[in-house]
Amino acid sequence: MLNLKLLEVCSKCGACYHICPSSLNMEGYDPRAVIKDIISGKHEKWLEHKSIWQCLECHYCLEICFQHYGFESAMTAMRTLAAKKGMTPPQVKRGWDMFIKTGRLGEPMASARKKLGLPEAAKSGSEDFKKIVKIYQESKKQILISKS
Amino acid sequence: MKDFAIFWGCTIQTRFPFLEKSTRMVLDGFNLPYRDLDGFTCCPEKSLVNNVDHGLWVLTAARNIALLDKAGVDLVSPCTGCVSNLATVNSELHLSYKEKNNVNSILNEVGLEFKGKNKLRHLVPFFHDEVGIPSIKNKIVKPFNGMRIAIHYGCHMIRPSHSLKNDDPLEPKKFDNLIRAMGAESVQHMTKLMCCGQGLDRVDQHENALHFARLKLKELKTLKADAMALCCPSCYLQFDNNQFLMEKEGEKFGIPILYFTELLGLAMGYKPEDLGLDSHRTPATNFLEKWDRLNEELSQTTELNRQLEQGFGIAQHT
Ligand code: SF4
Ligand code: SF4
Repeated sequence: MLNLKLLEVCSKCGACYHICPSSLNMEGYDPRAVIKDIISGKHEKWLEHKSIWQCLECHYCLEICFQHYGFESAMTAMRTLAAKKGMTPPQVKRGWDMFIKTGRLGEPMASARKKLGLPEAAKSGSEDFKKIVKIYQESKKQILISKS
Repeated sequence: MKDFAIFWGCTIQTRFPFLEKSTRMVLDGFNLPYRDLDGFTCCPEKSLVNNVDHGLWVLTAARNIALLDKAGVDLVSPCTGCVSNLATVNSELHLSYKEKNNVNSILNEVGLEFKGKNKLRHLVPFFHDEVGIPSIKNKIVKPFNGMRIAIHYGCHMIRPSHSLKNDDPLEPKKFDNLIRAMGAESVQHMTKLMCCGQGLDRVDQHENALHFARLKLKELKTLKADAMALCCPSCYLQFDNNQFLMEKEGEKFGIPILYFTELLGLAMGYKPEDLGLDSHRTPATNFLEKWDRLNEELSQTTELNRQLEQGFGIAQHT
């Protein structure tokens, strides 16, 4: 979630920049610039930028942040906005489609399991999963399941 | 010990069934009360599902946790991502009565209720806290004395700490303690806690993913580490597979990537091929040879020490 009050503090702090592996190791990755633009209402240009997908969700920033907020909160918000506009990297789209269809990101390899002497894999809950996804998508509850 | 369900997650069962094999072998070796539970789905993967729909991320994880509530068992997983995702949702729901009620009104439709009453743990802290160092030492028949192993914790084994609460999130110790209990030196290195970077491969940024893998592998090569130890299928994919791809293009690292369960299994006396080590793309041959050699030397001194002890006629440290 975006919280302007917390972001204002970020704009004066920047402490997590110096521990963030993406900031330290990837040219051009700098959540400080994204945060500045969010505060001044100019976040739009970031939605199509590859930067927002470069946050590794390693939670380093969250751990050292005295607000328990972290750069990642701003980056996750940008990714969600981008996804709502259909602007996801192709692989994310493929992964999402498979997840929604099956509830998993792949199926156990039956032949390899046999060769290794592994027991048959436990049953997946995909049927019940599909049921609750349907209820969720139909109900208005979806706006209520969120961090307040 | 309370019974626990093993949560394998998608990546291990889809891509690395041999990691399931070594995990089962060590769990059986310690006679631990684990079981397979029907009905799990993807944990679900945070970077994928949460980015697109937070509510569905919460609901799916809550359903997996509700299955534990129904069966009355704890959960242990050999995947850091799975545990971290489940634990994060678990704590979020414990903090919001309203959110929990909304989730449960949907779960009720499939006969489930989220209570979040059971422990959710990663395999490494589980072995450390629940099995314990003394019992582990008792099972070791072929220790790694003299071997230099560099640990890669993997971010989600320990973070976010407000949900996982299992080790120091910025200076963890438990994996180190376990590696040392097996006799090895835990090689300290600058990139020890750095994210593996595998996530970049999932957003079509392969070159950046390789860049992250290279940073760590280069350091370990300089430090002459014998192997990297980890316990996460994503990190494993990043360092085993991407190392293989880079070596194919001419870069040389030669760092075998060993799963916690493979190391423990080896030290317990299981054969490398039974543990699935021949399925790795980066071979562990050099590691295994050096280890054999050191163990031969070790058994010679052990024999001498035994004779010395007999000479003194009192119990001595070995
Ligand atoms: S979670 Fe993202 S923003 Fe935070 S430290 Fe990690 S890579 Fe950087
Ligand atoms: S997220 Fe926290 S540590 Fe990072 S800049 Fe903002 S206030 Fe500082």
